[in-house]
Parts: sequence; structure tokens; C-alpha cells
Amino acid sequence: MADLARVLAAFGEAYGCGATLWLQPALDAPLEVAATAGGDVTPPTGPHLADDDTIRSRETALGRQLVARVPGRTRAWLGLGPVADDDAEPRRWMRVLIPVLAQLLQGQWEASRATDELAERYEEINLLYSISEILGRTVTLEEAARTILLEVAETVGAEYGALFVHDAGPGLLRPVTALRLKGAPAALPIPTDDPVSVTARVFRTRAALLVNAGVLESEYEAPFRAGAMLTVPIVWTTPDGGIPLGVVCLSGRRGGAAFTAGDEKLVAAVGSQIGTAIQNARLVRASIDQERLASEMRLAHDLQMRLLPDARVVAPDATCAARVEAADGVGGDFYHLFPLGPGRTGVLIGDVSSHGYRAALIMALVMSAAAIHAQTTADPAETVQALLATVEEELRETEMFLSLCYAVVDRAKGVLRWTNTGHPHAFVIGAEGEAVRLEATDPPLGLGPEGLHAASRPWGAHDLLVMFTDGVSDARDAKGRALGEARVLEVLRARRREVPSRIVDGVFALVEGHMGRMRPHDDQAVVALRTA
Amino acid sequence: MSLQVTKHADVVVIEVDGQLIVGNRQELKQKVLDEAEAGARKVLIDFAKAGYIDSSGLGVLVSLARRLRELGGDLRLANLNDDLQTLFELTKLDSLFQISDTRERALESF
Repeated sequence: MADLARVLAAFGEAYGCGATLWLQPALDAPLEVAATAGGDVTPPTGPHLADDDTIRSRETALGRQLVARVPGRTRAWLGLGPVADDDAEPRRWMRVLIPVLAQLLQGQWEASRATDELAERYEEINLLYSISEILGRTVTLEEAARTILLEVAETVGAEYGALFVHDAGPGLLRPVTALRLKGAPAALPIPTDDPVSVTARVFRTRAALLVNAGVLESEYEAPFRAGAMLTVPIVWTTPDGGIPLGVVCLSGRRGGAAFTAGDEKLVAAVGSQIGTAIQNARLVRASIDQERLASEMRLAHDLQMRLLPDARVVAPDATCAARVEAADGVGGDFYHLFPLGPGRTGVLIGDVSSHGYRAALIMALVMSAAAIHAQTTADPAETVQALLATVEEELRETEMFLSLCYAVVDRAKGVLRWTNTGHPHAFVIGAEGEAVRLEATDPPLGLGPEGLHAASRPWGAHDLLVMFTDGVSDARDAKGRALGEARVLEVLRARRREVPSRIVDGVFALVEGHMGRMRPHDDQAVVALRTA
Repeated sequence: MSLQVTKHADVVVIEVDGQLIVGNRQELKQKVLDEAEAGARKVLIDFAKAGYIDSSGLGVLVSLARRLRELGGDLRLANLNDDLQTLFELTKLDSLFQISDTRERALESF
């Protein structure tokens, strides 16, 4: 206003005429003196306030005064006087002075607007900064949600609102936090396909929506909606576009004023930040879960390996070596060894029809049951039948089955008896390298009819008993080609005179050479035993 | 793996294209159960285009065969390649299924 006062003072000095400038802060508001350099300061009224460029005259206590509107965004009027009856000169001065004042007022208006915008932007920038800080400090959105909603609501002047996050499984938008109307019930999850809910609609369309009072009212939004509602999607921005993750709703603007496009833009920016935070939190959570799972799997694997017996347990009646490699940390392949009294040794290999935790649990159950039942009877069919009785229910409930071969070598009598429930890879390698398969006597446990069978064959002093699971013969190379049983048998024949540990090592060397850098897709187990 | 379903009189034929393994066995299971739900009792699974079945896949076949038998129906298999035929023989699973070497013979057997 100092500039205006200086201009009017200079004018007064130059022309010897008083000048006053009035401003009207708002339509219909009374005029206020902005600057004066003499003359009557009583604000003009009535027809003198016409919104045109006509110069009008009025009588005042100090004499006649000319009054005219100063054009521009600021509502302003200029008064010059007192003037003489012949006012041609003052009218000319007025036409010179008005554009100067208009220019000054426009400059002031722009400066004022820039200040307001800066203040507004400062508030927005401050909000975005605060939310970044909040989100950066927290791992879960739940911890930050209420603070974020409060900050956003405060900035746009909303009293009520809610923040929803998408739960893809059941197809719901779950409320994470809400600023509810007094006495309102808790906000409920909203089905994403709800036809009325604004929240669901915004989630589906990924476009913000401003609805007026009484429009698209839904019981889902009743707890946090009062009048118009601004609803904005929470979107995680990706190179391919965006993935909707939730929705922010704001309602009940203080003073009843409408939400603006600026509010929508601001909340959309916040929504984008929340979207990134949700995604980051999910990735962090997944990473933590994965690490925890990996750690548990390592423990479970160690535990499972401890269940497997030391191969020396069958000494001195036999020398044995065995090894299990689980595909998923824990697996369903296993072996067991039983010293059954003078000259007799029991060897069991099994493969649960899956791998991972559930297969490992069945395996553990079979291992413990086998240790009991093997001691109660010398007949392998009876032992396996007792085993089946123990695990039958679990196999039925889990839809798994168990292929196993249980062989009892009687060195003294020179006999090998076995029960084989669908285990394809059990062999006796003779002294001359001939491989005789121990044929399946029954389908896998859990699949076949009741009543198991046993078979027998002679056992020579130089015979080698070898059993392996299909993870060995089905091991795949980088091109997906299976190793094949024949190549395993070649190694067994070639190494048949070596100690069992070298035979087992030889088989795994073959498997590893075939797979290269490929990871095994199934568990792998090998057992080799001789009695010489 | 992909599954193609056709009907021949009252027999539903499901052709398996690819490997039947742990990752996709539920797909076959659901398909057969859906057909059974819709009233099918005779189901033939044709493995002409399938090269491999893992132990989980075998388990599903047995489970489906049991389910259909409980409903008074039957599940039969056709066109197992040599490796699969050997696998069924070695594991004695051939004693649990009626297996035909062609689809036509299998359809006639119902």
C-alpha cells in the first residue's frame, strides 16, 4: 500500500488535487480507504460503485469529487477532488492516473496470490515430507496409517475419512484406519465388486472421484462420510502403469466448503506414496518370511538328517553306506538300517510321493515306526504291513503314498527276503556284475489293496545290495534330459568290488556331473550294502 | 501341461499334453472332479502326448480312480509310452488300473 500512497501523494503535489483510493475486500463488503492524499475519504456508495469505466461526480462535505472504478482483479475506486465545476482537466488527469493505479494493484494482487500459493504449497510439501518420514520409519502400513490419515485430513480440512488396503484373496478392501463420525460403527471391509460403494468404484477404475452430498451413498461408507466425499486410489506406480493397492476416502470438510481439484491432486500424491510404502512393506515382509523359512528349513533338514542312522550300525554283519540329498531342504526320501540278530540285517529305502514339510513328516513317522516293527518280526511283509497300519491314516488324509523296499539279508542262510511296495530301483549286483531287480511285490503303500507279499532269492557272499530313489535316475541336466537307470547301473557294475562308501560316492558323482548347475527337482537317496 | 476334454458316448476322454507333475496335478484332479460332479462316471485319460508322470501325478491318478469307483464309475488309462508303461509295471501300479495301448481299445473296454 505504500506504493499507492506515494503515487497519490506525488499526484496531489503535481496537480494540487486531493486523491483517495478505496478497496472493497469482497463483493458487497464496505469500502475501505487504501491510500489518500487529501480530499474527502467518505467511501462512494450506490450508483458511484457501478462496475464500468464511467467517471462520475458526487457532492461531498469538502466539495465536488470525481469517482471512477479502477479496472482489474482488485475491486478499487479512485476519487479526485475537490474539483471545480469545469472538471475537464481533472477528468483527463484521472484517465492518466487510473491505468497507473491499475498496474500497481495488479502487481500487488499477483504478489499476494504468489504468497498464498507458496503458503499452500508449503503446507502440501510439508505434508508429503511428513508422510515420507512416517512411511520411511515404519515397516507396516498399519503402524503409520492413522497418522497419515490424520495429516492428510488436517491438510485438506476434512473431519472424517478412511484408508483401505486391497486384500486380493477374498477380493475385499479392508479398512486399515478410519476417522469416524461420532457414535458410528467400525468401518467394514468392502467387496471390490460392490456396485454402489464409491470406494470400490474408485478402486476398480483407478480414478479419483468427488461425489456431492446425497450422491452414491452406501452403508459401507456411512461410518466416515458426512456430505461430499473425496475418494482417491492408492496406486503403486510401475513401468507398465499402476497397480491399485487401496483407497483413501475423505469427507466432512470443515465449514462446508467443497473439496477442490488441488485437494484431489494432493491426496493423489499422498496415495502414490502410500502405494509405494505398501509395496515396500510387502517386499520387506516377504523377504523376512523367506529368510525365516529358509532358516527353519535348514534346521528341519539338520533334524531330518539326524533321524537317518549311521551306516556303521549294521557292522560287523555288513558294511554299508548311504546318503540322502533333499530337494527342498527337507524331503520324503529316507533309508533305515536294522541289525536283526546274528547274521541278519534289515535295509529299508523309502520315497514319500512328494517332498517338502508334509513328506518329511510322513518320513519321520515311518522312520520311528519302522524302528519298532522291524524288531518284532523277521518277515519283511509283516514289518511293512505293521508300518502301513501306522501311517495309513496320514497317507489317506494327505493323498500321499509311499514306495519302499524293505530287504532282510540273512548272511548265514544265504537268503535275501524283501517286500517291495512300488519301489522301482532295488537291485542285487552279483559278483560278475549282473544286476537283478528286486521286483515290486505290491503297489505303493497307500494305493494298493490290503495284504502285502514278500519274495526271496539267494544271497551270495560277494553280492551287493543297492537301492536308490527315482530322484537319482530322474535327475535332469540343463536340457531336461533324465540321467536314466541304465547309467546308474553301469556305475554300480563298474564299482561293485569297491567299498560301499565309494560306490555311493560314485553314484552321486554321476548324478552331479549329469545335472551340472541344475538344482535337483526331487529328493535323492542311495543305499549300498554288502556282507562280505 | 494342457488338458483337452472330449466326450465319446458316456465316456469322458481327457488328453494330457505335457508332463503330469506336482505343479499341475491339481489341474487334472479338478477337471476330472468337475466332470464327475456333472455326472460323468466313465473317464479315460489319454497319455499319448504325455512323456512323464512324477510320483505326485501317480498319486492323483490313484486318488481319482478311487473317487470314481466310490461313485460307481471307473477311470482307465491309455497310450502310456514305454517308459511310463515300465514305470507302472515296476511299481505294480498296473495292477490298480486298466491300461490300454490305444484310445479306441480303451473306449471299447468300458
